Amino acid sequence: MTRYARPLTVTFLSASTLAYEILLVRVFAIEQFHHFAYMAIGIAMLGFGASGTLVALARPQQESAARWFAWAAVLTPVALVASATLVHQVPLDATQLPWDVGQWPRLALVYLLLALPFAVAALAVLLALTLEPERTGWIYGASFLGAGLGAALAVAVLWIVFPVRALAVPALVASLGGMSAVPVAATRKTPLKGCAWGTLLLGAAVFVEPLWRLDITPYKGLPQVEAFPDARRVAERASPLGWVVAVDASAFRHAPGLSLTYTGAFPRQTALFVDAEIAGAVSDWSAEAAARAILDWLPSALPYALGERREVLVIGAGGGLEVWNALAHGAHRVKALELNPELVRLGGWSDSTVVGSPQAVEVEWAIGDARGHVAGSRERFDLITMGGGRAYGTSAAGVHALNEDFLHTQEAYVSYVERLSDEGVLAITRWLTVPPRENVRVILTAVEALRRHAPDAVAHGLVVARSWATGTVLMKPSGFSSQDVERLAAWAEARRFDLDWYPGIDVPATRFNIMDEPVLYRAAAAAVAGSDSAERFAAAYAFDVTVADDARPYPHHFLRVGSLRSFLAGSRGSWLPFAEWGYIALLATLVQSVVLAGLLMLVPAALRARGAGSAGWLRLVGYFTAIGLAYLAAEVAAIQQLNLLLGHPVYAVAAVLTAFLICSGAGSAWSDRQPATRGWIVGAVLVGMLMLCAAQLLALIHLLQPTPLPLRVAVAVAVLAPLAFLMGTPFPLGLRFLASMDTGAVAWAWAANGFSSVVATPLAALIALEAGSQVLFLAAAAAYACAALLHGGFSRLGSPGV
Amino acid sequence: MKLRRAGILLLALHLGSAGCVAAQEREQSASDPNEPQRLAMVRLIRDYGVRDPATLAAMRSVLRHEFVPEGYRRRAYGDHPLPIGYGQTISQPYIVAYMTETLDPEPGMNVLEVGTGSGYQAAVLAEIGCQVYTVEIFEVLATSARQRLERLGYTNVTVRHADGHYGWSEAAPFDVIIVTAAAGYIPPALVEQLKPGGRMVIPVGSVYGVQNLILVEKDASGDVRTHNLLPVRFVPMLKGLR
Repeated sequence: MTRYARPLTVTFLSASTLAYEILLVRVFAIEQFHHFAYMAIGIAMLGFGASGTLVALARPQQESAARWFAWAAVLTPVALVASATLVHQVPLDATQLPWDVGQWPRLALVYLLLALPFAVAALAVLLALTLEPERTGWIYGASFLGAGLGAALAVAVLWIVFPVRALAVPALVASLGGMSAVPVAATRKTPLKGCAWGTLLLGAAVFVEPLWRLDITPYKGLPQVEAFPDARRVAERASPLGWVVAVDASAFRHAPGLSLTYTGAFPRQTALFVDAEIAGAVSDWSAEAAARAILDWLPSALPYALGERREVLVIGAGGGLEVWNALAHGAHRVKALELNPELVRLGGWSDSTVVGSPQAVEVEWAIGDARGHVAGSRERFDLITMGGGRAYGTSAAGVHALNEDFLHTQEAYVSYVERLSDEGVLAITRWLTVPPRENVRVILTAVEALRRHAPDAVAHGLVVARSWATGTVLMKPSGFSSQDVERLAAWAEARRFDLDWYPGIDVPATRFNIMDEPVLYRAAAAAVAGSDSAERFAAAYAFDVTVADDARPYPHHFLRVGSLRSFLAGSRGSWLPFAEWGYIALLATLVQSVVLAGLLMLVPAALRARGAGSAGWLRLVGYFTAIGLAYLAAEVAAIQQLNLLLGHPVYAVAAVLTAFLICSGAGSAWSDRQPATRGWIVGAVLVGMLMLCAAQLLALIHLLQPTPLPLRVAVAVAVLAPLAFLMGTPFPLGLRFLASMDTGAVAWAWAANGFSSVVATPLAALIALEAGSQVLFLAAAAAYACAALLHGGFSRLGSPGV
Repeated sequence: MKLRRAGILLLALHLGSAGCVAAQEREQSASDPNEPQRLAMVRLIRDYGVRDPATLAAMRSVLRHEFVPEGYRRRAYGDHPLPIGYGQTISQPYIVAYMTETLDPEPGMNVLEVGTGSGYQAAVLAEIGCQVYTVEIFEVLATSARQRLERLGYTNVTVRHADGHYGWSEAAPFDVIIVTAAAGYIPPALVEQLKPGGRMVIPVGSVYGVQNLILVEKDASGDVRTHNLLPVRFVPMLKGLR
């Protein structure tokens, strides 16, 4: 029984911390903004490495280590509860961080509180490794297994309970870890056992009655609309896709980019929020039938000016505004694709009793990933339309910059265009920012897609229209006739919208919505002139507006690294209009994690002096740093690409992450049977596999996209399993060399690996953003190559006293 | 000789007047320790390109710290937005000045503000001599802004707790409308209540992100046009666009 106690404890603790990490990201993304969640939790993960530094400095003897192990395991659930409770007591206003130094100590306190459970749990895992040096593969494999199960658990829990309660689940799981540690405790077992039972009760009590509550920043849409005079929350749903809330308020109105010449009525609307940010509205047309006229005064109604669109596909249909638009314009059949089933349900499309009036119309809803659906479909449509969707604020503030979005890549646009009927049109409406960037990228991407689909169509297949707040791009592979252009121009003129581009235009023709520079005209002219001129235009533009593709699926990222110098050179606040918070948070996370990791590694090492700075210490740290960097880089790249293959951003990520970690766990356990000297061979094989992934994986995914899901899953497993299996071996193989050394060497290795994993997370995201997942695979290969080289020298070193 | 005597008299009068102004400034400075910060704020705004004397004078006169919650007063004159509760903010001074200059308000003009917030923007317009009607949807903010403006002596501002979607038809038409709480659409009533020849300015977007300023102009025939305004201070960032 005791043989399995430590691996079991490690499994529970790893599951609890990974689940806590994922759930914390969810809760923070609701309370604050996703980019802040990313930064805060990214830094908190330094707790993993800090446990290594602590053990390296303390170098506990066997008996002490066994005692510490048990207590760390028992205290992990307490730390999880304390962290979640106390962090909600810190009065931090993240929006004031740029100019209020008073917020920085609070941020530091948040980091510390968040880091606490990771540090305590990691301490237990590390001590387990030092206590059983002959079974490092088993112990480390258990950690991988637990992490994999924790990822799956977090996603499953989010289906069952609301995020605020879900945050208590990791403590419950960790308490099981504490209980399983009791049999191997080298201390008086009675108090320990009592404490372990106490933590189980604590976990259960907190699950029933959480000690914290959602504290949503007042700058989000939900608290603001809920503060309106007669606002009433009418429905609430939770799932891993987000926390969806519907609010009725007479002062709420949603009409993105409505024409200034509209003088009619507004429908009564129910606001829909995902993670407290506006995600659309449900309109009650029955109360005032005349209000339906408003639909024809929205910029997204432009394609209907071309004449009847019988078959319409709405991508990202949300609450159904664009579905109603299609129906109001006489569509005979509307197919609506939406990823989040709760939005459809609250929109009244599948459960008419929830919100608003019953939607008694024939609309075919498909719940799931639009990209995968389109790839597997043979249907043809007269119109495929994609609306703005998100709230203006979040769109413009760049908080989605880090989000992968395979719906707005060149390959995606090609797949939509292929599903158009002979006279079909693809319409994409986005918010307009000043200076324009998202609209510019949509134009460049659309024209490149059109060029790939039908090169001859480019000259006559593009129309760009602009309202005071939005830009709409129309693509028609069969080409816009002069009658088409006349109809669009008349429709636009009545609404005071401008046509920035149409076939035959020779000079900018802005009449109603004046901009300093005719940027959209120039972008369209450059794109239509050819790929080279489009590239030159993008290269000269102040923002990154290059065509997004499946290897670099970040269509909402615009900030160039070079622009940051201008920010820093300007006075405080002058960069606000250009701030892309997601990207800035990523860079801030990277800088902070590098600095803090360096301090937590190097300062203690320097203080300790013995061995630190020596060639042996550097090799050891170098090897474990390299494999930490490589693992994260390969994992991020693989998840990104397999996400496209499996076609669902949440389930795919959860499934891939779980499978990845469990396979790595199996690899780690298997490594116990291998000679430690084989580490360099593993490294070399991994280099080859990762280079192959960089070269061929995306092409394979494109080939398989239209195939049935079981086949895609089988291929994903076939690609993933051997890679993840081997990636689980370098760490335990490396540790085995240290078996003959003291606890300090193992602890430094753990610290180096922990810190590098933390640094690697924002670094990998940055590489993916700037260079794409293929380069990320190559970066991982390079890091494994370094590890293989260091492993050779490291193995020859092999003397105690490092 | 007479001319020289007259010159001396004028000089004496001038010196006397200057002495009087300096004394006033000293008096004001003594009574308002925030004045140096406020003057520095106005210098900064001027450096960023706001040149309208009336706007700058109003920004100099309005006691911004009075419109900022107690806990943030120390930073009232920094060029950044500050929270005032209910997820609302007092806009950064430059944005207030830029919007005011863009509207080109004149004494006696009829002005509608949608989104009173703290009342700071209304005070700036009132300082210029406009008759300001301001609407706030959050009752607590409307009440506190009304009390604050009354306390500070702004008699030409009327605050109403109402939904700005409907404007203020009893006080319409307006020479100038300023909307500080846009939500992706411009209420038709506001366009309707704008005088021919009138101007409306709307900052769209996140207060901590992009402030996309839009100017709506109604010509003599009642037709509307919009201008996407690019704040002048950000021009150096945009060389690539020019």
